[in-house]
Amino acid sequence: MRRNRAIRQDTYSLTASTLAARRHRSRPFARCGAAALGLVWALSAAGAKVPPFTDSSALGQVTGDERRVWSQGNEITQAIDRGGMIYENPDTTAYVQGVMDRLFPEFKGRTKVAILKSAQLNAFALPNGRIYINQGLLARFQNEAQLATLLGHEGTHFTNRHGYQNEMSAKDASGFALFGAMLLPGAIGLLPQLLAISSVYGFSREMETEADVQGYARLKKAGYDVHESPRIFEHLMADVKAEDIKEPFFFATHPKLADRVQNMKKLSAGSPAGGDGTSNLDYANKMAQLRLDSLEHMLSMGRAKSALIMLSDPERLPEFPPQVQYYVGEAYRLRGQEGDVKLAEEAYLKAIEAVPEFPPSYRALGVLRLKANHYADAQKYLDRYLELAPDAPDRGYVESYLKIARKKAGGQP
Amino acid sequence: MNKFNVAAVVVLLGACAAPPQRVDSSRTEGPDKSYAVDLPVGWISQVTQNKQLLVTRDGTLLEYMLITKTPPKEAFPKTKKAASDSMLPAELAELEIAEIKSEDQFTAALTVTENTPAEIAGRSGFRFRVRYKNNLGLEIQRVVCGFAEKSAYYQMQFGAPTLYYFDRYYPDFQKAVASFQLSDSNKKTSRLKSERFLSENLTRTDRTVR
Repeated sequence: MRRNRAIRQDTYSLTASTLAARRHRSRPFARCGAAALGLVWALSAAGAKVPPFTDSSALGQVTGDERRVWSQGNEITQAIDRGGMIYENPDTTAYVQGVMDRLFPEFKGRTKVAILKSAQLNAFALPNGRIYINQGLLARFQNEAQLATLLGHEGTHFTNRHGYQNEMSAKDASGFALFGAMLLPGAIGLLPQLLAISSVYGFSREMETEADVQGYARLKKAGYDVHESPRIFEHLMADVKAEDIKEPFFFATHPKLADRVQNMKKLSAGSPAGGDGTSNLDYANKMAQLRLDSLEHMLSMGRAKSALIMLSDPERLPEFPPQVQYYVGEAYRLRGQEGDVKLAEEAYLKAIEAVPEFPPSYRALGVLRLKANHYADAQKYLDRYLELAPDAPDRGYVESYLKIARKKAGGQP
Repeated sequence: MNKFNVAAVVVLLGACAAPPQRVDSSRTEGPDKSYAVDLPVGWISQVTQNKQLLVTRDGTLLEYMLITKTPPKEAFPKTKKAASDSMLPAELAELEIAEIKSEDQFTAALTVTENTPAEIAGRSGFRFRVRYKNNLGLEIQRVVCGFAEKSAYYQMQFGAPTLYYFDRYYPDFQKAVASFQLSDSNKKTSRLKSERFLSENLTRTDRTVR
C-alpha cells in the first residue's frame, strides 16, 4: 500500500469491513477518514423514515431527490460495468437472480443481481435496485437458503429505500463525507461518495436490523428453511477470525456480527424445522465453476487462511470438483506455517491422483521437490507439467527450474 | 479537474516529502544512495515520504515510474507477507501480483498478460505485466520488475493507460530497468538463498534477460 499511495489514479473500492480494517493498520490517514465517515453514519442513523416501495409500479413514480440518488446509483453501476468487475457466468447469475425473484416476486424485473469478481465476503444494494454479491461470498455459502437470507437482507435495503433515506438524512453532513472521501480516495474515488459509503460499507444500525428482520420474513414467506439464516453471519465471523481482521470501525454503530447471529437464531427459534434450499449438493453443483474461480482469485490475492476455512473442512471438500486438492495444496503453501509444506505436498499428490490431466498440480509439486533438493522428482513433475501445458504462461520460470533439476539430477541415483 | 483528481493530487502531495525536480542528467541516485538508475531527461522526479523515487513526464495519471526499496519484512504490506531469502523469483512475482490485486476492486480483476524471469542489476528477479480497467473503462497497464536481496526488496514499476501512453513511454522504463545498478556497498551484501541457488545452477545465458 505504501508503495502506491502516491500514485493512486483509478481506484474505487467496494470492499467492506475487511479492507477497512486493513486500512486502519496501514494508513494513518484512514483513521481520520474512518472517524469522519463514522460521524456521517451516526448522523444518518437519525434520518426520517419514508414508506417502503410496495411493488414495482411505485418505482416509476420516483421523483426529485430520490431520482437524483438513483442517478448516483446508476453512476456506480456504470463504473462497475466499465471497470470489468462483473463475474461473467450467465448460468450462475441467472440462478442467483431466480432466488431473488422468488423472494421479491412483486419486484421481478426491477431488481437485478450481478456477481462481482472479488474474494471479499461482501454484498450490497444500490437505491436503483441493483444488488451486487461478491464471488467470494457466494462460494462460501453452503446452500440456497443461506443465499436467500442474504438476498432477502439486501433486497430489503432496496424496497425500504435505505439508500435514499441515508442520502437525505446525511445531506447536511456531505462536507464531512467529502472530507472522508478525500482521505480515503481508494475507497470512494470520484463516485457519489456518500451513497457509495452507505451502500457498500453498510447502513445505520436501525436499517441493518430492519433489513435482517424483514429479509427474514421474506425468507420464511418464500418457503426457505429459516434455520440456515444465522449461518451467513457465522461465515463472516470465521473470515474475520481467519484473516485476523480487527473489528471494523462501522460496527460501532452497527449490530455486531455475534449479535446478529443471536438475533437470527431468536427469530428462527419458533419456526418449525424444514423448508427449502437446504441441499448442499444442489448448491455445490450450481456453484462448481464459481467456487473454483473464486478459489483461484482468493489465492491469487494471498488470502490463504480464508480459503482454508472451506478447504480444511472435510465436510465441505466434497462440495468441490476433484481438482480442489490442488487448491488445498496452494493454500497450505501460501499460508506457510510450520508443517504446511508437507500438507501441501500431500494435497498435490491427491490432486494428481484424482485428476491426472490437471497440469498445475505437477508444476506445484515439481517446485516443492526442487526446493527440497529432490531433483529427479522435480524434473519428472516439471517435465510432465510442460507436456500437459506447453503454452503455460509461466513456462520461462519452469524451464529455468528444469535446467537446475536436470543439472543436479545428473548426480542423483 | 474532477473530484477524483483533486483527491489524487491531495494524496500525492501528502505522500511526497521533497519538492519535484526536473531530471537534468539521466543518472540518478536513489534517496539513500543504495542504487543508481538512468531516468529520462526532462521528466519530473520526486522522492516520496516513503523514500520511493517517483518519475513522470505528463503527470502520474498518464504515466509514471516508481522505484521502491523496502526492508524484506515490509515488502508486501497489504497481504502481510515478507520477501524471504528462500523465495524463487516466481514466488516474489506471485506475492507482488497479490499485492496489486489487493489495492482495490479494479485491480482485483486484473489480468496477468506476461510473467517471466528477469535479470535486474545482475540479480535473478521477475518481470510481469498486468492490465485492468479503471472506473471510466480506461485500460491501464503496469509492468513490475523486482528482486530481493538479504537486506532489501527492490521493485520498479511502470504504469500508464494502454491508449497512447503505455507504448509511447514503456521503452523509457525498459532503459531505466536495464541501467539499474546497486551501489558498491550494496553489491557486497550477501545475496538471497534463491539468488545463490539460481546463480550456482544457471549460467548467465540460461536466464531470460529482457
